[in-house]
Amino acid sequence: MKLKLNINNRYYNANIDADESLLDVLRHLGFKSVKKGCDTGTCGVCSVLIDGEPILSCQFLAARAEGHKITTVEGLGEKADEIIDVIINEGADQCGYCGPALVLTTYAMKQELKNPTVEKINHYLAGNLCRCSGYEGQLRGIKKYMGVE
Amino acid sequence: MKCVRKFDARPKLDGSWKFLDDYSYPEMIHGQLLYSKCHHGYIKKINFPPNYDLSEFTIVSPKDIPGENIVPEPVCDQPFMVDKEVMHYGQVIMGIAHPDRKLLLKFIKETKIEYEELPAITGIKECLENEDNHFGKEITIDHSINKEPEADWKYHHNVYYTQHQEQAYLEPQGVISIYDPKANNMFVRITAQCPFFVKSGVEAIMGNAVDEVIIETSEGIGGAFGGKEDFPSLFAGISSLLSYKCGKPVKIVLERTDDIQITTKRHPSRIELETWTDPVTNKIMRCRIDYRLDAGAYQTLSPVVLARGILHSISGYSVPDTVIRGRLFKSNTPSNGAFRGFGAPQAFAAMEAHIDRIAAEMNIDPYKFRKINLFKIGDEFPTTQKVLEENLSDCLERVIQKSDYHNKVKEFAEWNKTHKDKKGIGIAVAYHGGGYTGNGEKILNSEIKVVIEKDAMVKIFVSNTDMGQGAHTTLAQMFFEAIGHPREKCKIQLPNTSKTPNSGPTVASRTIYIIGNLLRKLAFQLKDEFGFDNLEEYVNTHQEEFPQEFHKNFTPDPSVIFDENTFVGIAYKDYSWAACVNEIYFHADIYKIELKKSWNVFDVGKVVNHKIATGQAEGGILQGLAYGASEFFYKPGFGRMHGFTDYALPTTLDLPEMDIEFIHTDSEMAKGLGEIPTNFPAPSVRNAFHNATGIFIDEYPLIPERLLKALEE
Repeated sequence: MKLKLNINNRYYNANIDADESLLDVLRHLGFKSVKKGCDTGTCGVCSVLIDGEPILSCQFLAARAEGHKITTVEGLGEKADEIIDVIINEGADQCGYCGPALVLTTYAMKQELKNPTVEKINHYLAGNLCRCSGYEGQLRGIKKYMGVE
Repeated sequence: MKCVRKFDARPKLDGSWKFLDDYSYPEMIHGQLLYSKCHHGYIKKINFPPNYDLSEFTIVSPKDIPGENIVPEPVCDQPFMVDKEVMHYGQVIMGIAHPDRKLLLKFIKETKIEYEELPAITGIKECLENEDNHFGKEITIDHSINKEPEADWKYHHNVYYTQHQEQAYLEPQGVISIYDPKANNMFVRITAQCPFFVKSGVEAIMGNAVDEVIIETSEGIGGAFGGKEDFPSLFAGISSLLSYKCGKPVKIVLERTDDIQITTKRHPSRIELETWTDPVTNKIMRCRIDYRLDAGAYQTLSPVVLARGILHSISGYSVPDTVIRGRLFKSNTPSNGAFRGFGAPQAFAAMEAHIDRIAAEMNIDPYKFRKINLFKIGDEFPTTQKVLEENLSDCLERVIQKSDYHNKVKEFAEWNKTHKDKKGIGIAVAYHGGGYTGNGEKILNSEIKVVIEKDAMVKIFVSNTDMGQGAHTTLAQMFFEAIGHPREKCKIQLPNTSKTPNSGPTVASRTIYIIGNLLRKLAFQLKDEFGFDNLEEYVNTHQEEFPQEFHKNFTPDPSVIFDENTFVGIAYKDYSWAACVNEIYFHADIYKIELKKSWNVFDVGKVVNHKIATGQAEGGILQGLAYGASEFFYKPGFGRMHGFTDYALPTTLDLPEMDIEFIHTDSEMAKGLGEIPTNFPAPSVRNAFHNATGIFIDEYPLIPERLLKALEE
């Protein structure tokens, strides 16, 4: 089936199978920041934003994405820099495989949480697994970005 | 102690850093592994599904192997693919490739294999309790005294069990093999910790069919923790065979389920401890340790894990009369392999738990009991190696002070009297020998290369990989800080076996300790030999001398002598030390342990990059805490473990408040750090649960089902 997808404010034509995940289609179109980690919606490295809200693209049929605005970390542009900086300043990036999805989810969290607290941040990010860092450094940086002590 | 930013941090976060699945080559097709769903048996028939054009597929089995069907490892007993007898669930039977990955996965799923099933060992106790099931060489460390125990010495005897732990790197294992018929060589790009191990693996399977094998890692390796140490050799062998047969580049990226079901894990263990303690001095006078590991179906590198395990099994205690026996046992699950700690986490899980048991039964505080028995200068390890420092004791003192341990013990005991839920606090200590065991570093003879260009750019060539631990940043930092050169002018070559010398594998907490210190020595040597204060100025004024290449090999300390038959001598020249205190909250209604606070003090010598070191410690500690408290692998039903829904990793909701401190950082020597954080958290959680409830749990992890059972009993 043929689709027209709005990715990072540009339109892309894609010829896909009906059962293809948004993850596979995005990677096929060259958006390599979207990673594949589990295919069961449990690790979070495939997170992208659909109309500003984080979703797991491995669990989202590409066909359902037509008519929505898809954002990958490439599409955040300068808005990603502030998040990247706080994580880098803590030395919290390790293997980096979970990194782009974490940046995206953090960006969405900032838009969504009006009165962020440590507990709310931890809940929001519970779907973004990281095996390297123990989350500690990531959260130190992200709490600063969210204005939470 | 500087905090140089990692050079790869930004591209990793903005998504531009290339991981294996991000690489593509012209005409590349996809490969996958067809593996056994039977634990033990003979293959009667393989039924490929109808309605597929088999001519479109490339299929390799042992008959296609031009070289040998044996993976080169410390013990060469594992075939690349099943020869006759299936020995474990997840054993590779064939490699299959096709241009369409989706169709390939469907084809493999629909392929049915008929087996003649044989009896199989799949349970941990079934494997480790049966003396007849032992295989491979037994190791004994004999530091015994020919003297019977005194009649009044208190005897304690207990058995401790640990189970599998999955490395769970977030990037599944992947490889691309490219056979070039014109050059008759094989280029392999792979997610691997040890490029030269992979080279040996591909050379073994290809035999004389290719003239050269070149291994290069992908730019990014999405975590490894030991899991990408030995399996890549097998994996790359099969992808290379596929590429050789079809003449096209072949990429295999494992599905998560396959990665969990066929790759190596942490060895389950059964550790039996017998101790005799003098009730007057509270000194442990005698100890007998029976350390058993479930190696899986083949030995592969398990003897090396066993060696490190028994060398750490006395923990940090000086016991005059000690005998340690180490053995491997066989089961019909995949060969177990390297995982951060390499046999030591099992050792500390047992001994640090046992120490609390003795202390409780002798009615002495676990801290005081540890202090009495900890290594003192002049004491001996069971190998007769002399203890030269009391830094472990310093770590313990500091962590007790920081955590306000003594007051909390009293406070929690009081609180627990009136609450159904319970609070607990537990201690553990650990150490980790840096580098290969015994004479290993001498045999490895690691080499580094540095090239200084005409524009004073420095390029460092080592085969050690960066799988997220920040090794390349830290290695470069050690060189440029020592030589006094700007960071921007130092680069590290991506590990490639045709360009980088063999500086050994990225394992055994050796990258900074051996290779980093070697780079530092080379930097000082160049400064001395050329007599410069400023490298850039020197290069500018001596243009005719550059580019120039410099090599340096590791020089072993001649005083380090270790007998690998008797296990007598210096097992590791330098040790890192650590101690922790963990606080837990036990939710009595749901039988759940909540990790509250984790205090950790390390002596890893000189800390090269504080932020990278802290990140290593924090990540390793959470892996260790989860090993003790939550990560459960259902071994008898190996095929039931499909992914992170079955094997639950800690999330941001499971974190304790964590405190990390490094002491004795004024040392000149940067020691190993990669593994020690995972060695000790598990027993401290177990000890904290005992402190909270008065109940000992001797089987890890402390999952709610196990706690419920213990409380009912």
